[in-house]
Amino acid sequence: MATSIHLDTVRKEFRTLGNTHVAVDDLSLDIPEGSFTTFVGPSGCGKTTTLRMLAGLETPTSGTVSFGDEDVTDLPPQERNVSMVFQSIALYPHMSVRENIGYGLKIHGVPKAERDERIDEAAEVLQIEAQLEKMPAELSGGQQQRVALGGAFVQDPDVLLLDEPMSDLDAKLKSDLRVEIQRLHQELDTTVVYVTHDQTEAMTMSDQVVLLRDGELAQVDPPKQLFDYPNSEYVAQFIGMPSTNVVDCAVEHRDGETVLVGPGFELSLPAGVDAPTAGRVRLGIRPQYLDVGSAGACRLSVDVEVVETLGTESVVHGRLEDGTPFDVVSDAVDDAVAGDRLDVSFDLADAFVFGEDGETILFGSERAGERSSSPAGTGGVTP
Amino acid sequence: MSTALKSRLAAAGSALRERDVDGTTLLLAACFVPMLAFFVVVWVIPIVYALGMSLFASPVRNPEFVGLGNYAELLGNGAFWGFLWNSVVYAVATTGLSLVIGLGLALVINQRIRGGDALRTLMIFPYLLPTLVVIFMWKFILDPNIGILNQFLVDAGLIDKPIAFFSTLEFAMPAVVVTSVWKFASFAFFILLARLQAIDPDLYERARVEGATTWQAFRDITFPHLRGAILIILLVRGIWMFNKFDIIYLSTRGGPLQQTTTLPIRVYQLAFSEVNFGMATALAGVMFFLLAGVAVVYFRAFAPEKEVA
Amino acid sequence: MATSTGRSLVSHDTQKRLQRIAVYLTALLISVFTIIPVYVMVVIAIQSPATTFAGGRVNLLPTQPSLRNFLVLLGSTDTVRYFVNSLVVTLGSTVLSTTIAVAAGYGLTRFDFTGKSLAARAVLFSYMFSPIVLAIPLYVVFSTLGLLNSHFALTLALTAISAPFCIWLMWQYFQTVPIALEESAWVRGASRWRTVRDVVLPVARPGYISAAIFAFAVAWNDFTMARVVMSRDEMYTITVGASLFLDRVSIGWGETMAVSLLISIPPFLIALFLQRYLLQGFSVGGLE
Repeated sequence: MATSIHLDTVRKEFRTLGNTHVAVDDLSLDIPEGSFTTFVGPSGCGKTTTLRMLAGLETPTSGTVSFGDEDVTDLPPQERNVSMVFQSIALYPHMSVRENIGYGLKIHGVPKAERDERIDEAAEVLQIEAQLEKMPAELSGGQQQRVALGGAFVQDPDVLLLDEPMSDLDAKLKSDLRVEIQRLHQELDTTVVYVTHDQTEAMTMSDQVVLLRDGELAQVDPPKQLFDYPNSEYVAQFIGMPSTNVVDCAVEHRDGETVLVGPGFELSLPAGVDAPTAGRVRLGIRPQYLDVGSAGACRLSVDVEVVETLGTESVVHGRLEDGTPFDVVSDAVDDAVAGDRLDVSFDLADAFVFGEDGETILFGSERAGERSSSPAGTGGVTP
Repeated sequence: MSTALKSRLAAAGSALRERDVDGTTLLLAACFVPMLAFFVVVWVIPIVYALGMSLFASPVRNPEFVGLGNYAELLGNGAFWGFLWNSVVYAVATTGLSLVIGLGLALVINQRIRGGDALRTLMIFPYLLPTLVVIFMWKFILDPNIGILNQFLVDAGLIDKPIAFFSTLEFAMPAVVVTSVWKFASFAFFILLARLQAIDPDLYERARVEGATTWQAFRDITFPHLRGAILIILLVRGIWMFNKFDIIYLSTRGGPLQQTTTLPIRVYQLAFSEVNFGMATALAGVMFFLLAGVAVVYFRAFAPEKEVA
Repeated sequence: MATSTGRSLVSHDTQKRLQRIAVYLTALLISVFTIIPVYVMVVIAIQSPATTFAGGRVNLLPTQPSLRNFLVLLGSTDTVRYFVNSLVVTLGSTVLSTTIAVAAGYGLTRFDFTGKSLAARAVLFSYMFSPIVLAIPLYVVFSTLGLLNSHFALTLALTAISAPFCIWLMWQYFQTVPIALEESAWVRGASRWRTVRDVVLPVARPGYISAAIFAFAVAWNDFTMARVVMSRDEMYTITVGASLFLDRVSIGWGETMAVSLLISIPPFLIALFLQRYLLQGFSVGGLE
């Protein structure tokens, strides 16, 4: 039976030889019952540690973890009804696939007949019936992954934890399994918590994405919200491929109007914007929101360095006149080559403005009404 | 599982956990108690007891405390330095030769020659055959009356009359060394072969593409990979050979005229032929401290404990 | 490549061929050096001395195999009893050593405590230690306790010299066993003990077979400890008992080689069937 999960000011420190490393710092979070929540962030951000605290494999240094109303902070893994798929897959090499999947049931004293029935059922769902009597070493990477998944969900857990389960698979298998896992989530009555460093997985699978940074919560939101309203430069740059372009701008006042002055362009902010009146800000603009040509309100030139062709569209890696790296994604740049100068433009609606502390101080779309151009489906986040 | 059952289990769980429900403490004890008990019983107590004994004259019959007197007597006696020299000669000769043969064969088998696997299996025998069996073989081969080596040398006209290798002053040590090398060359061989097989073949491919000759590839790729293993073999094997007792005792008992008496042989003689446990334990003490000295060098130079801790 | 072949006197192919010949020659020489003593032992063991020494020369081409030497061993020596003693202490110390090593190796790998490197150094120091230097103190202690001439004392003594390496081997082995295997069992509800039984021990099997082989080899090979601890004829192990054969007038080379052949059977079986476990032991250092 799915359960909600609550983390309240959870902190985890690791002490080694006098050094204290804070892996998770003051993390408070609610994960709704039955949701698919993904923890994402660069390596070392504390996402796996958080997952391990949910499993009971690590105990928080302070703070509490609860499943529903029950405080499980100090409960050992054996006494939580959770299942976990490990990054290393962790199949028992000396047990057959059937034994691997059924091991948890056996521990819980489920009689053999019922065990076999549930294993067969799981195998059918995962299309590994033919592999049941084989040993793990005889399986391909994708099959092993399915066995690990089977072992996890056959126990009907309240919470299913997945720790970067696809990091060793090739791209094709990854996309197959992504669908598989989402299908499982829909069929099962369980709360899924998924850890990955791959933002594509996070964005495509989840109801809710938790982005961590150095053990702290950077932002928690549904994928679309995270993409459109990143609350900091860090989030804007982490989510989306290629990364959001960030350009230093000076803030100037002219005739009561606030103008951002960047390398080779100027952008006027509408009246009433709560922006700093002087000093510097950073302007973020997603490569997908740039138009080749001069349709947008704000125009600038990019010196092309590398062009990657991805089929229907191309990614142009270039620089602005002051050397700031600047990428453009477009389906209209097929003939661009290194050394060209590309004129692009954008509207305020597609820009973010970040303060000097990295926090977002302005979402362009909130100020300029609806987007003038929107990304094509989720294509914006697909690599 | 019903919620009611689960909360009951959880309550029971946290209560039991105070008393270690998952058995971690017990497991901890089961892991370490046997090892600690064992080390105390067969290592710490005997060694401390023997070191204590080395401070007494005739410690068994009528003990008389002499402090470091046994040590002074031991080190002041010229014979000790002769035995030490024999130990060093034996250790250096056997370790050096074993290394050369072991390295040669490891390089050969690493070439994936035909019959390489069989040769590798063959090399296990000397290492696994009990020392006594090795001694019997070589005593027979080197026997002055019926030994096949003497038979061969006389037939070939290389010598006039058979040589009693193990009991002739100038041949005793070489004979013991050959016997030892026969048994221990495979030690170096297996360790070096394991290292050789761990070298990424792409490194050689790359060297070939870059124009390296076979010799240059050996010097720049193979040797650097083996250097650590070679040093460890020289050091560890060297210590073991320095302390080798059975092979020398069984072949010459330290003779002729103490020509092959090394420190281990001398310890045994002092304890069981001369029944002088004061001196025997003092010599064992000296060897203990020599060993400890080498161990310190070993730990400093290689930090082998890093492999596990 | 072009520059080096250009300068050399012989062609590249000839060089390669010479190199090949050198490689095979080395292999051949070492094989002969290794095989001859073993061959001599086997031939002398399975021929009667009359055949071997016929005509005043050693005849090493077996023409008339016979069991005569083995029958003499059975009839006029205590070979059987020596073998039984050897088996008792060897099996005892193999089990003891392996058990201590598996427990210690697991504990040392999985539990955190300060002084781990000190523990590692202690294990390594005892691993490098000299059997004879340990034998003297052990003799003194066993003698004080009245334990000389007992299987128990010799088992302990043999374990003393094999356990350090076995511990080291298992310690290294458990480092290669991913903790995720155990964690996965815990998450599924298995207690630590249950996990040890269901997961740790089965997965560690290659490691402890390897450790057991080394412990067995040490004990079966041993002469030093048995010589020191056992002084009564009926307690001799086969190596000590047989070492005295050549001093007897009634026993010649035939019987000596016959007993050698018998002693060599267990190592022979190990080399043939358990080779890979032995090689695994060498990858972490091998043993005295």
